[in-house]
Amino acid sequence: MSRDILVIGGGIAGIQAALDLAEMDFKVHLVERLPSIGGKMAQLDKTFPTNDCAI
Amino acid sequence: MLDVGRHPNIKLMAYSEVEEVNGEVGNFRVKIKRKARYVNEDKCTGCGACSEKCPTVVPDAFNEGLSTRKAIYTWFAQGIPSTHTIDTEHCRQFQGKKCGICQKVCQADAVEYDQKDKFVELSVGAIVVATGYEVFNPNRIPEYGYKEIDNVVTAIEFERLLSASGPTGGHLYRPSDLKVKEEVPALEKSLKKLSKALERFEKKYGQKSEEFYKALGKEEQGNDPDKAKWAEAYEQKEEVSKRLSEYKAILEKMDVAKKLAFIQCVGSRDIRFYPFCSGYCCMHSIKEAIIANEHEPETNSVIFGMDIRAVGKGFEEYKIRGADHSSITYVRGRVAEIIQLPDKTPVVVYEDTMERVVREEPFDLVILATACVPNKGTKELAGILGIELDRFGFFRTTQANPVDTTRPGIFVCGCADSPMDIPESVAQASAAAARAAQVIVETEMKKAS
Repeated sequence: MSRDILVIGGGIAGIQAALDLAEMDFKVHLVERLPSIGGKMAQLDKTFPTNDCAI
Repeated sequence: MLDVGRHPNIKLMAYSEVEEVNGEVGNFRVKIKRKARYVNEDKCTGCGACSEKCPTVVPDAFNEGLSTRKAIYTWFAQGIPSTHTIDTEHCRQFQGKKCGICQKVCQADAVEYDQKDKFVELSVGAIVVATGYEVFNPNRIPEYGYKEIDNVVTAIEFERLLSASGPTGGHLYRPSDLKVKEEVPALEKSLKKLSKALERFEKKYGQKSEEFYKALGKEEQGNDPDKAKWAEAYEQKEEVSKRLSEYKAILEKMDVAKKLAFIQCVGSRDIRFYPFCSGYCCMHSIKEAIIANEHEPETNSVIFGMDIRAVGKGFEEYKIRGADHSSITYVRGRVAEIIQLPDKTPVVVYEDTMERVVREEPFDLVILATACVPNKGTKELAGILGIELDRFGFFRTTQANPVDTTRPGIFVCGCADSPMDIPESVAQASAAAARAAQVIVETEMKKAS
């Protein structure tokens, strides 16, 4: 039995899931295929409908 | 992103892939491949001295190939972790050539050419899959001329052009002009080389190249190999200088794109490819048009779509604001074709279905709102995880259990499940995290009782 959780993918969804679980005091292993996390959202300039910066 | 890097409960394994998953909920055994970066993650300070000196230039995938990076690189400037990585496909050292520059300049001694892939075995209670999506390849719709017409780009490429940290620093130059600008230094270099060669001939024979060429008879050229070379160099120089002056004329007139066309449903709501609606693209195009207008207030945009789907909190108001304050026109109709004029201007051929007229309209830049489609690796990962895919290739879920996959203890969120926008992805991620926590607590309770 393990309490650890594996999150596959470090885009906005994976980051959110990992942070939620980490805040609940679970140990999270976040695996990302690319050299750094951020996913597609990091490629975006701004986000709708507030025009906030994506990064 | 930063929070993930420094949270004590998160072990971040970037540049890694899941290889094997066995076991069941509460007790999965997972094998992870940590791909060799050839840079020591603990030692690298991310200073960038290696990339600065690296001689190998390759297209930058983060900027959708609109700029270049080096063979030793970071994915993007603010990336976490900031550790550099060697792209072995292009690195001279790995291609059997003599180099080793990055290792020499690295003050932290972090470059390790002999690094090997490492395998990590983990024991976990639950798994959350958040592998995202990729954009539809518009080459599959030849009538839109993507990659053939320089000034037709995808929405994500346009996003990089708009970004202050992107290849143009946020200035919306047309890719055709950027291409010309890129070629000028090489042309200037070759012109200089050819001029020098001509000078040598002129000195040797005491005659101006132009006079020599005019007086030259075809037979004479064939008889004397030296003079044939001279004539050839002269012809080349004329051609290069003609092209260079053409290019310089283009660059003198070069201005940012001010008339934009957005084409909706490229690959989605199209029975030839994906019948579903990708959901976010209407809002995405409106946002891009608004931001372009913020950068350059003279910018006008036309959004061509079957209908504009502004379903979400504050979305309809955003759409109206775009029309009222950011010079966006919405045209109901599907674009039939994009053609190119000799000066590289793309022309959109479409039917305005409100007015029942077929029209042709030139634009500075055309942006394709490409569909959200399953990532290439999804099928393989589904095999490793032992979970099912739906008919489009996304991970299968049901309406009653929207974040549960077909295997207990494995959950999915974001665009790996289906196309969705950022707020939805975040909400689903929190739901998947809650479900993962729930099954672990349930398993613990079952064991205790």
